[in-house]
Amino acid sequence: MKILVVDDSEAFRKVMIELLVRVGFHDIVEAKDYEEGMQVFRKERPDISFVDMILPGKTGVELTKAMLSVSHETKIIAMSSIINKKMIREALEAGAKDFLLKPTNEIALNAVLTMWSD
Amino acid sequence: MGLLSRKARAPAAAGEKGLGITRKYNLTPGHSYVVEESPPDISFDAFVNIVSTLDSEGKRVIGMAVSRQHSDLIRQKYGLETTPIFWLATRAGQDVISPTNLGILTHTLVQFVEEHPGGIILLDGIEYLVSNNDFNKVLRTIDQVNDHISQSQAIMLIPVDPRAFDSKELALLERNMEKFSTKPKK
Repeated sequence: MKILVVDDSEAFRKVMIELLVRVGFHDIVEAKDYEEGMQVFRKERPDISFVDMILPGKTGVELTKAMLSVSHETKIIAMSSIINKKMIREALEAGAKDFLLKPTNEIALNAVLTMWSD
Repeated sequence: MGLLSRKARAPAAAGEKGLGITRKYNLTPGHSYVVEESPPDISFDAFVNIVSTLDSEGKRVIGMAVSRQHSDLIRQKYGLETTPIFWLATRAGQDVISPTNLGILTHTLVQFVEEHPGGIILLDGIEYLVSNNDFNKVLRTIDQVNDHISQSQAIMLIPVDPRAFDSKELALLERNMEKFSTKPKK
């Protein structure tokens, strides 16, 4: 299973990738913003994409819509360091499957991956 | 006495609107959990996730939070709309509990648990309570609320900064509660 992590913080991406490896996922790609996210998404076609909702330039909601217009197969998990219900609802309406609060932890990550990995 | 009657009653609690996201934390009803962390990110994530999602039987869990952080800040950061939030502070005001008045704190927590069996309490700010009271008094308060938690099948989450306590105090805090680990049980 291939996983994409899109977040502008390199430190967060590193922590997230370490967590993903710890819970048993090793095929991971990363991107820092909308443009790089779409580039990697088109090339790698990940099964699950973790997308930060607050990105420099175009937002995570826009990225979610763009990714799903390329492939409906991917499952997108929205992420943010704040729980803004309006933003979460916008992300779910855009097609995201779930939401994770940053920083995340093994239990929360495992629950989401158990729910959405086939 | 006026202070007690004005502040002791918790505001009516209502469930948060569901977010349509996954229930990430399965905490056992009737149990209290110590979460060793600073800042209390995991505790708040678990609390918000539980009050914003349905349990395995499709029921909504009602929550109440007590925190050293101002209730407006908590509502803003975590999007809690209907959950009662009390601010631990020495200032007077609505939904404020003085850290030195453990009686009111106990009463507020116990009353919530009795009125909302199966509910969840987040008690953040133990370090502040201990800096304003004798440790043993705070421990007795927690133990007292914990008895009601067990009886009412409620859940209590207590984030604790381990740097603020010595090993004996931590052991006493964790004696009647479960230590919450973010590492999944194998």
